Amino acid sequence: MSGPLNALFPWAFLVPLAPAIAFVIVGLFGRRMRRLEWGGWVAVGGAFVAMVLGVLIAVGEMLSPGTYTDRSFNWFTLPGNGTGTFPNGFSLVMGTLVDPLSAIMLIVVTVVGFLVMLYSVDYMHRDTGLPRYYAELSLFLASMLGLVLADNLLQFFLFWELVGVCSYFLIGFYYQRPAAASAAKEAFLVTRVGDVLFLGGIYIYFQQFATAGPGLGWAAAGFPFVFHGAPFLTLLHPPNPTLFTLAGLLILGGAAGKSAQFPLDVWLPDAMEGPTTVSALIHAATMVAAGVYLLAVTSVFIGFSATDSFAIVAIGGFTTFWAASMAMVNRDIKRVIAYSTVSQLGYMVLAIGAGFTMVGLYHLFTHAFFKALLFLAAGAVIHAVDTQDLFKMGGLRKTLRITSIGFLIGGLSLAGIPPLAGFFSKDDVLSSVYTAAQTHPMYWPFFVLAFATVFMTAYYIFRVWFLTFSGDRPRDPTLPPAHEAPWTMTVPILILSGLAILAGALVFVPQIGGLFTAGVGFPATPGVPPTYTTTDILLSVVSVGLGAGGILTAYVLWGNGRVFSLAEDSAAQPIRRLLLERYYVKTAVDWFGLRVVYAVSRFLDFVDEYIIDGTVHGFERLFSELSIRLRRLQSGVVLDYAAYVVVGLAVFLVFLYVIVPAIPALGGG
Amino acid sequence: MTALAWTVFVPELFLLGAALLIFLLDSLGILRDRRVELFGGLATVAIVVALVGVLADLRFAPLASLATVPAGVVNAPWTLLGGSLVAVTSFGLVFQAIFLTSALLVSLASLSHPSDQKGAAIFFGLLLIATLGMTLAAFSADLIFLLLSIEITGISTYLLVGYTRRDPRGLEAAMKMYIIGALSAALSFFGASLLFSVYGTTSLATLGGPILYNTHFPPPLLGATSIALLGYGFLVVGIGFKVTVVPFHAWAVDVYDGAPSDVSAFLAGGSKKVGLFGYFLVFLVPILLSGRAPPGLPPIPVGFHVLIVHFGLPLQVVFGVMAVVTMTVGNVLALQQTEMKRMLAYSSISQAGYMLIGLAVATSPAVAGAVLLIFAHIFMKAGAFIVVGAVAGLGVGSRITDWKGVGLRFPFLGASFAVMLLSLAGIPLTVGFVAKFVLFSAAVQAQGWFVWLAVAGLLNSALSVFYYARVLRVMYMEKGEAVVVPIPAGAVAGGSDPPLLGVGGIGYGRAAAIGVAVAIIFAFGVYPQPVLASFQMAVNHLLQVL
Repeated sequence: MSGPLNALFPWAFLVPLAPAIAFVIVGLFGRRMRRLEWGGWVAVGGAFVAMVLGVLIAVGEMLSPGTYTDRSFNWFTLPGNGTGTFPNGFSLVMGTLVDPLSAIMLIVVTVVGFLVMLYSVDYMHRDTGLPRYYAELSLFLASMLGLVLADNLLQFFLFWELVGVCSYFLIGFYYQRPAAASAAKEAFLVTRVGDVLFLGGIYIYFQQFATAGPGLGWAAAGFPFVFHGAPFLTLLHPPNPTLFTLAGLLILGGAAGKSAQFPLDVWLPDAMEGPTTVSALIHAATMVAAGVYLLAVTSVFIGFSATDSFAIVAIGGFTTFWAASMAMVNRDIKRVIAYSTVSQLGYMVLAIGAGFTMVGLYHLFTHAFFKALLFLAAGAVIHAVDTQDLFKMGGLRKTLRITSIGFLIGGLSLAGIPPLAGFFSKDDVLSSVYTAAQTHPMYWPFFVLAFATVFMTAYYIFRVWFLTFSGDRPRDPTLPPAHEAPWTMTVPILILSGLAILAGALVFVPQIGGLFTAGVGFPATPGVPPTYTTTDILLSVVSVGLGAGGILTAYVLWGNGRVFSLAEDSAAQPIRRLLLERYYVKTAVDWFGLRVVYAVSRFLDFVDEYIIDGTVHGFERLFSELSIRLRRLQSGVVLDYAAYVVVGLAVFLVFLYVIVPAIPALGGG
Repeated sequence: MTALAWTVFVPELFLLGAALLIFLLDSLGILRDRRVELFGGLATVAIVVALVGVLADLRFAPLASLATVPAGVVNAPWTLLGGSLVAVTSFGLVFQAIFLTSALLVSLASLSHPSDQKGAAIFFGLLLIATLGMTLAAFSADLIFLLLSIEITGISTYLLVGYTRRDPRGLEAAMKMYIIGALSAALSFFGASLLFSVYGTTSLATLGGPILYNTHFPPPLLGATSIALLGYGFLVVGIGFKVTVVPFHAWAVDVYDGAPSDVSAFLAGGSKKVGLFGYFLVFLVPILLSGRAPPGLPPIPVGFHVLIVHFGLPLQVVFGVMAVVTMTVGNVLALQQTEMKRMLAYSSISQAGYMLIGLAVATSPAVAGAVLLIFAHIFMKAGAFIVVGAVAGLGVGSRITDWKGVGLRFPFLGASFAVMLLSLAGIPLTVGFVAKFVLFSAAVQAQGWFVWLAVAGLLNSALSVFYYARVLRVMYMEKGEAVVVPIPAGAVAGGSDPPLLGVGGIGYGRAAAIGVAVAIIFAFGVYPQPVLASFQMAVNHLLQVL
């Protein structure tokens, strides 16, 4: 089957290449450009090329669904010597993979990436270090697109790490601020835990498949791991189920790190120290989705293990509730949205764990648009009033009209109010978990948590909306007078508003819906959105009711400039404090770090200083002595040198004539 | 038997013609004040043309078609008496490209010696003759032809080392190199004569294979195999001089130190490699043919017997031991050096040790890895010597401690030198890492005691980081200006006079040579597949022919 746009597929590598070129240009010459914004326009250009090409490829995939791989770029072949595990050598092939999954991700990443890049040009204009910002953001976009198009796990991991590094740089963009520097470090270290687990998982897969053998004819074909599609499916009889379960758990660990799932979720709210654009692009729409995407592409293998599936459901379901609860009390506009991201990522993970991979992807798709919208709208607010404290704002809907409407659309979508995008995908997530729980009773508690979260979600996002936009005037009179943002900022907000409204219903277009129902290469997962039975309709009605209830509650407590505060002696005070302190997880981590880790590190320092360094210094002294002794042989007298030649010759002759004949193994005897 | 087309010698003709033209123009006294530009330009152009010619013989890149080079068959894979002198193999062509690249780098860098008008003809003329010797060696099908070609290179390099004439250290170095070189040449030819006495031929494809002897004349006193082994022993030593194998290395340190930096660059980047090429050509046959007859054995004449010999393992053990000893001694001695060039010289000796692993293991990936390391070594070591020449030309002293702050004062030279040292140490993203990785993993793949060669190589690499990192620390971390000392006249060619050409006072040619070296170190460090694949094919081709 081939469509009119399939000719583009071999050129898919250009999609990540365009922002990569922008990165090189801005990185090398950004500081020498006469005006620093020019670097921004170069970055926008790179993102634009990537978007056009990426969307065209996705459309091509819609018109003729299937799995297309291009493995023509042989990066490195380690030669083989005709024996052993890899008789013909071992190749690392960088390939590109176009299939429904990567097509969905291409749309999400390139569209959001381009809009955020455009928005940045004005949003960041007051900042110093602009070339650095544009270069890093372009590199981030390139790495993320490389990850999306990767056709084997090792290549995936390389880009995954690059994405992590970019995230570190961008969170710490305001590195002069201690909070930003430490948030960057925290994000890097916490995700690193996940990365190590992920690498372990890759190793197990590699080891299992490599030993699964040349008989199947692909040890020589490169890193033996095409995600989905024919080459893999011949190997669906795992040689060692225990190891496969372990590999699945390790992969889940990697995904949990990147996608901020419990217990590796602490870094994401703190990562809001970066510029808001970065929060929108990386920590809402794309990078954190990488973990979900990883789970999606590996769900073919992971789905086989009931243990792994349950672990995924448990982590996703619990995180959904856990993060939403903390979002309900926070007073920082960006942090609330960040918690919301963690919570929504939980929904996606939950759906994938329940066996409905494409439903998870569907939610990822809609979420990317409405969450980027919320962040960009929040960015416009921060840009206008220069604070992130909700309790200082108020009444901004009069001055920031477009922004307030954009935020409202994003909020309604997040709250799951029909017919906005969030409604469709969230509803599918809930009913797919409901379906799975019919056969797996262990899933029920997490279904309940996910269901309860619908109410909390609607409540916390409308608490933000009412605090920010309703009322007569800002609660803090010292705030500067707000102005609506320039066109480069409002246009992305308007476009994203449109997408936040429509993205959910888009699946009813047969070609686009085909991406989500194709289920290519997912033999173990039904991959089809649930059919709309009476139960499903009932579920929808109840969940919409919960969402509306959340909005109403928020209105009663915070609407029209009201400020709700708990009585000091209220029984709910301890709960509020618990939530504000983030369940004391950070405190516990700090305590653990200070007491336990520090003690261990002091011990290790001792070992390092006296035992390891001692050994090293010992060797150093040994070699230095040896060196001084040997140096005396270098006399500078040429006759000595000639003597060494003759002595060397004598040694050889002794070896060849005395030792060789004496040792049968050398052919003597 | 395919007849050789004369066109394969076009590159050599260009080298020879350019050399003769340079000497002629010099004696005519044309353009006396612009001799560096004139002769240097001539030499560079000739080398470029020769390089293009060689690459054309390889059918230009992608080099993937190496195995189908039309003339790419050893003319006489099995000859009883006699055989052709020259043969074109893709292995030889690859080495020709390597030799020419190193010569190109050196001649490019030397274009920046405008102060040295007097020596220009000698320098560039001899550089071309030495390169000619190396490219001829790459065509060898015969041991005597190989040794003679190596001698052409050798004699030109003795003169190159002392060409400035004003510098007593250079002259002393030339003398030392000449004496040891002459001794080694004598040993090599003696070894060749011993082999001839056994085989009745000096054809490289026949030597080391089964021995044919007349039933009327039984094997002589010690036995044919013993005499052949004796011959190989002498050849190991004689050619080992060029490779700077321990204990035949001692001259190299004094010579690399005493010679002008660009000549040291050529010795490390080019003439050392011709020795390694000789090792491969002479010893791969006895190692690989050990205990078996070559394919396509022609009928044995009446009255003759065939004696199958087992030279392989003893020779592999010899090279394995030499590899470990050479890399260890080189690294250990480099630790204590205070002079930059002596440190680089010892580092060069240790690199020769790594390369010998390829010969000891003698599988196709191992040899390919060694060739890749040889290729990489041009850019890291010759490049490093070229940087040292540039830094010395800027008035910085020759001791390592004199280099304080060089990295900050001369950012381009400092960063380039850092890249070259990191590549020598085998840090990832450099071609030095890839080469070591391929080489060591080939040793591990080969199993058995070869694994220990990889272990020794790894430990040695770790050891070498000590002295490379020390230089980096001095260049970047230690406070203080680069120490400027008066340069003895002629110690570095062109050192005492202000250079004419720009780019931070180091000259365009030199800057270009350094830039190219750094670019290649990175490019093939990140994406080594093109060169690695073509080396692999060339090696496979050679091994198939054997």
